[in-house]
Amino acid sequence: MRNRTQIRTGITAMVIAASLTSLTACGAGSRTGAEDATAVECDYTMPEGETTVNVLAYNSSAIDPFTNTMVKSCTRENVTLKHDPIDFSGQVTKTTATLSGDTGSYDILETYGFAVPEIASAGSIVPLDDFVAEYGEKYELDALNEGMRSALSYDGKLYALPMQAQMYVMAYRQDIFDELDLTAPESFEDMIAAAEAIREQGDIEYPIALPMSATADISTIYQAAMNSTGTDFLDAGEPQFTSDGSREALEGLKSLLPYMDPEVTTFDQPSVQQQMFNGNAAMAIMFSGRMNDLTLESNSPNFDKFGFAAPPSLAADAPYLFSRLSVDGWAIPENTQLDKDMLFQMIASSVGEDASNASVPAAYPAREGIVTDESSAYAVAANETIAATMPAPNDPFSAPVTNAIRPVLVEVLLGQTEVEDGMQEMQRLAEETVSGS
Amino acid sequence: MRRREFASFIGPSLLVMVGLLVLPLIRTVQWSFQEVNYGQAGTFIGLSNYTQALGDPRFGRAVFFTLLLTAIVTALILVVGYLVAIGVNGLGKLRPYILGSMLVAYVLPGVVGAVSFSWLFNSNFGGVLNLVIERLTGQELLWFTDTWPNRVMIIAHTVWHLLPFSVLMILAGLQGVPKELREAARIDGANALKMHLWVIIPTMRGIIGFVCLITIMDVLRTFDSLIPLSPQADAIGNESIMFYVFDNAFRDGSQQLGLGSAVNVLSILLILICLFPFIRDLLKEAKAKA
Repeated sequence: MRNRTQIRTGITAMVIAASLTSLTACGAGSRTGAEDATAVECDYTMPEGETTVNVLAYNSSAIDPFTNTMVKSCTRENVTLKHDPIDFSGQVTKTTATLSGDTGSYDILETYGFAVPEIASAGSIVPLDDFVAEYGEKYELDALNEGMRSALSYDGKLYALPMQAQMYVMAYRQDIFDELDLTAPESFEDMIAAAEAIREQGDIEYPIALPMSATADISTIYQAAMNSTGTDFLDAGEPQFTSDGSREALEGLKSLLPYMDPEVTTFDQPSVQQQMFNGNAAMAIMFSGRMNDLTLESNSPNFDKFGFAAPPSLAADAPYLFSRLSVDGWAIPENTQLDKDMLFQMIASSVGEDASNASVPAAYPAREGIVTDESSAYAVAANETIAATMPAPNDPFSAPVTNAIRPVLVEVLLGQTEVEDGMQEMQRLAEETVSGS
Repeated sequence: MRRREFASFIGPSLLVMVGLLVLPLIRTVQWSFQEVNYGQAGTFIGLSNYTQALGDPRFGRAVFFTLLLTAIVTALILVVGYLVAIGVNGLGKLRPYILGSMLVAYVLPGVVGAVSFSWLFNSNFGGVLNLVIERLTGQELLWFTDTWPNRVMIIAHTVWHLLPFSVLMILAGLQGVPKELREAARIDGANALKMHLWVIIPTMRGIIGFVCLITIMDVLRTFDSLIPLSPQADAIGNESIMFYVFDNAFRDGSQQLGLGSAVNVLSILLILICLFPFIRDLLKEAKAKA
C-alpha cells in the first residue's frame, strides 16, 4: 500500500512539473505586452450591441506595436478587439481559410504586398480608396509612404493600409572587419573575399549567414537575387525562370554556399540571428525587422560589435541591391459581418503618428519622417536599401508560382539538380500554375 | 441496468464519437473524390486525387519512410521498453521517482519535446550531443540535412517520447505474472533468459500486443515532431505521410483538400493493414475470455 502511494506521489509530482513546463511554453507568444501598448484616439461610431472584432496578425517585434495599439485603443464600451498570438505560417493558413466562405472568422487581417494581388483579384478583401478619401485628413493618411501604398495596391486600388515595411539589411561584425581592414561588401564577390579573409583568420568557419530554410525563406532569397539583376519571377504574367537573371541568381547563391553552414537550408531568420548572437557567423542578411534583436544586450555578448549596411548587389554592375521590400498592412475581409467603416477607423488609428513612433526601432513604419538616420543603428542602412531595392511587381500568380517552384529550387541549391535543368523545370511548373493546368 | 439508464450513460460519448469521428470520416471519403476549396462545394472528379497521390514519387517516399520509422521504432520500443521495465521492476524506493521522471517525455506536447530534443544536436543552440559525438568520432555529422543521421535523430526522439508508455504497460504486465509460475519454471531449471522467453513473455502476450498496437498507431501518425527535427524533410526523403498531407492540403495557403483527403483514406487503409494481426489477436483473446 505504502509503495503504491509513493508511486502515485512521484508520478503526480513529475506530471505536474511537466505540465507546467508545457503550459509555460504555450504561453510564449506576443513579444510586447498589450499593457505597454501606445494609446491613441480610436473614434468610431459605437455599435448598439456587444461586438467582438477578431484580428488576425502574426507576432513579431515589428508588427506587435501596431496590433497592440489597435487592440488597446479601440476596445471600449460595447466593442472588444480580440487578437490571439500566432506565427507567420499560421497567419498564412488562416487567411486562406477565413477568406474562402461567405462568412469568416476574422474581421481585420494583417497582410503583405506579396499576398495582396492574389486575394484582391479574387475579391476577398475590400478596396479602401473610398474610406481613405473620407478619413484621409482625420488620420493623416497622406503621410503614408506612396511606394508602400503602391505595394499594397492592385489594379489601381488600395487594398491594405500600410503600417510598416521590411527590407534586407546586412549585419556584420564590425570588430572583425576592422581587425582585418575589411569594408562592408558591395557585391557577392566582395562577400566571398571577406569570407575567405575571415575564415583564414581561423575563428569562424562559416562567416556568411543567410535565411535559406527550404520550406519558406529560400524562395525569398532567390527572388531577391533575381531582383538585383532587374528581373522577377513573373514579368507581365510570364514566368522568367529561364532568363539570364534567374541563372545569375542561382549561380550567385551557389557561389556563397561554401562559406555558409552546411545545414543552411534548415535556417530560418531566428536561426540566422542565433548564428550572429553566438558569433558563429560574421555577416548576415535578413529583413530589417530582425535587426533590433541584434542590438539588445540581453540577446548576445556581441550586441555592441555589430555594424549595419545595405546588402550587396549580386554583381558590381547590377542595377539593384540583393533585397526585397516587404510591406505589411491592414486589410478588411469582404466577408466580415461587421461595419466596414468602423473597422477602417480602427486600422487607420493604429497606423497614426504615435503608434508609428512607438514601433521604432523594431519596425520601419510606413508613415513618412518617422525613421531618420538617428532612429536606430541600422536606420541609415535601411534608408539606403529602400532607395535601391527593385519595386515589387504586383501579380496575383506570384504566391502560387513561388510555392510551385520551391522544391525544385531546393534541389538546385542542394546540388541535386543542375542549374539549367532546374531552370527549365521551374519554368514548366510556373507556366502550368499560371495557365491553371 | 435498464435500457434508459444505459442509453443515458452511453449517449453523450456516442454523440461525440459520431460528431468528431464518424462524420469527419464520411466527409473525408466524400472529399477524396472531389476537387475542394475552403468554403466552397466540391466538384466530383472521380479517382483523380487517388491517381495523383499514387503517381507522386514524393508520396511513395513518404510511405516508405513512415513504414520504416514504424518498424524500427516499434521493435526498439518493445525491446528497450521490456528491458527498462525489468530494471524498474527491480527498483525499491526509487521506482516512483524514476517512473515519474520518465513520464515527463510522454506528457510533454510533441512539438515542445521535439524542439528541445533537436537542440541537443543543433550546434547553433548548444548541441551537447552533437559535440560529444563529434569529439568521440572526429566526424561532423549533418543531423538535419543528411538522410540517415536525420533518421537516427527522428527514431531516437520517437523512442524517447513513446518509451514511458510501453514501460508502464509492460511493468504492469510483469507484476501480473503469477509468482507460482516463475517458481515452477525455476524448479524445472529455467535460467533467467529462458524464464523471460518461455514463461513471462508468453504470459504477457496480450499486453505486448496492445503496446504494439498503440505504438504502431502513434508512429504512423508522426507529424508535429518533424517540423523541428527535419526542417527539409521532403528534400531528404524523411517526410511522413501526415506531413505530406499537411504540406499538400494546408501549407502556404494551399487548398488541395481533395488530394489531402485521398491520402488520408489511403493512410487509414495502410494503418488497418499494419494493425490487422494485432486487432485479430485481441479479438480472439476477448472471444476466448468471453
